[in-house]
Amino acid sequence: MRRIFTGILTFSMLLTGCVNSSVGIQSRLELIKKRDSLICGVSGKIPGFSFLNSNGNYEGLDVDICKAFAAAFVGNSKKVQFRPLTAAERFTAIRTGEIDLLSRNTTFNLSRDSSKGNSLIFAPVVFHDGQGLMVKTSSKINKLEDLAKRSICVGSGTTTEQNINDAFEAKSLPYIPIKYQDLNQVVAGYLQGRCSAMTSDRSQLAAARSGFRNPKDHIILNDVLSKEPLAPASAGGDQLLSDAMRWVVFALFTAEEKGITQANINQQLQLAKNNPQMKPLRRFLGIEGDLGEKIGLPNDFVVKIIASTGNYGEIYNRHLGPNSKVPIPRGLNEIYNQGGLHFAPPFN
Amino acid sequence: MILKKIKQRAFSNILDSITTLIIISFIIISLTTILKWIFFSANWSVVKINLPLFFFGSFPKDQLWRPGLWMSLIAILSFATLLAPRWKWVPKFLPILWISFAPLGIFLLGGGLGLSPVESRNWGGLTLTILLTSFSAILSLPLGIVLALGRQSELPVIRKASSLYIDTMRSVPLIAVLFFGQLLIPLFLPIGLEINRVYRAIIAFTLFVSAYLAEDIRGGLQSVPKTQREAGEVLGLHPLQITCLIILPQALRVALPSLTNQAVGLLQNTSLMAILGLVELLGIGRSILANPEFIGRYIEVYVWLAALYWVVCTLMALIARHLEKQMALEKRG
Repeated sequence: MRRIFTGILTFSMLLTGCVNSSVGIQSRLELIKKRDSLICGVSGKIPGFSFLNSNGNYEGLDVDICKAFAAAFVGNSKKVQFRPLTAAERFTAIRTGEIDLLSRNTTFNLSRDSSKGNSLIFAPVVFHDGQGLMVKTSSKINKLEDLAKRSICVGSGTTTEQNINDAFEAKSLPYIPIKYQDLNQVVAGYLQGRCSAMTSDRSQLAAARSGFRNPKDHIILNDVLSKEPLAPASAGGDQLLSDAMRWVVFALFTAEEKGITQANINQQLQLAKNNPQMKPLRRFLGIEGDLGEKIGLPNDFVVKIIASTGNYGEIYNRHLGPNSKVPIPRGLNEIYNQGGLHFAPPFN
Repeated sequence: MILKKIKQRAFSNILDSITTLIIISFIIISLTTILKWIFFSANWSVVKINLPLFFFGSFPKDQLWRPGLWMSLIAILSFATLLAPRWKWVPKFLPILWISFAPLGIFLLGGGLGLSPVESRNWGGLTLTILLTSFSAILSLPLGIVLALGRQSELPVIRKASSLYIDTMRSVPLIAVLFFGQLLIPLFLPIGLEINRVYRAIIAFTLFVSAYLAEDIRGGLQSVPKTQREAGEVLGLHPLQITCLIILPQALRVALPSLTNQAVGLLQNTSLMAILGLVELLGIGRSILANPEFIGRYIEVYVWLAALYWVVCTLMALIARHLEKQMALEKRG
């Protein structure tokens, strides 16, 4: 009996050994190019980030990031296959190579990044989420301090509950938590007027609000109580792919910083071609130098990205901007020179 | 006459009258609110606009005829089974047609042999639900029969192995088996070899359901008197012939109601795959609810899904009852 058991154990160790060792042989980027399409893991169930529209296509911020990757890697933003994944499945899918990369509201943290944890490599953060507060516009509450001695609806037993407690304790203000089992009940409690404010992740607040009868009657406060940096990720140990992903996201930021949009990309390209002295722009758009080649992409990858998805600001406004169905104030998601956190190192 | 009967049945004394009135008013109130909601308050645009999604998932637009054809074939086959028992050739062909329609579904959906291939991630909606159900059912029935026979075998190794398998599967929750199929199987496989997620789900369902089917069939086997086997032996039949020609047909007839039960349960259990990222009927409903245009339309979508499940399950139950009646007729005749 024991011998059989040892046999099984050795066999399964051998198998897992195979899995681990065969990851690093070839870069995933080469595979993507050879296949001529990108397989992108998305959630498919998050309003504004990735969802199925009525035509049966995926749409949202996470989806557009995938399209940008596809435009850079295989030259066509349409050559991307979306695979809907649940939170439980996502890391297995990436480890087994079922998907090339993950663009699915994944919070960047130490244990997911480390080789002893989920062993992922994260691209730059594409959305800084965080816990926020939503109040009725008519209540004249503008900041956290205004909520002192008022009641707040919160999901019980979550980090959400802990974060709100920490935030009020830090300012030594009293408040009345009203606890519910899950988010839907929190929303219902808030709408019935049981509390002056409700708290959850800001993206969830915005999504919940767009389902309200009069979304304009509710505002999300600017206070952010926790850090939820959401970033695309790929399997660890593949520098070629992770470098390419990193610089695609940086290109989206840099394009917004330089004012290059989907509409004016061709003009900018002409401008750069006609003016040899505009070195930084020429390098960025791949007219001069070999920046693309260094990360395994065509030199004009930035042009292809911007032409197909627009810059970061355009992507954001399309899905989460003030005129979209799920408006979320940009706040931390502005480019660094507008007071946000999105910063790209120079394209040199 | 009728009035008299009603009076006698429902209003014979004060207590009866009060109960009747309460029940009637309750029915009227709930019916009016429900109907009012269905026809006036509910906004069915979410269902109307996304109708192709509910039925076929995100299948490529120009290839929609493939799942469409498959679904209509199933509908035709169901009605043919229900309505046309008179023609002699129909009962002969129907079982073959029923067994072949699951592989046909894989072919029509997946492509190959002249049809352009469509990745399984584009399969979805009711089509995927029915595909999962039918394929798992067709695969688990023979496996269940083998397990049931194995459990009654005289060879201790086979008997013990079958019992062990059945008992293990029955003591593990379905969702754990499904998680195993979706998360662990791919980790055990070498990197190049990838089993499609839909097939992984079918394998997990088959492994699980066959254990339950085996127990149902065992119940049927035990209802067949021992004398039948002895009679077969006296006639000089081979043990295999006895099992296939004498024991199994009788056992399956007895087990049919509980087999139907399993099939309906299986159809409803496929909705668990929504938790595991397959966009079958429930999964597609949840994806559609994430579309900002339809946020908050939970009730409409779930009522619609419930109606769809109800229609499909009722159809299955009707077919099974029809089959039972026919078998009873055969027995008598």
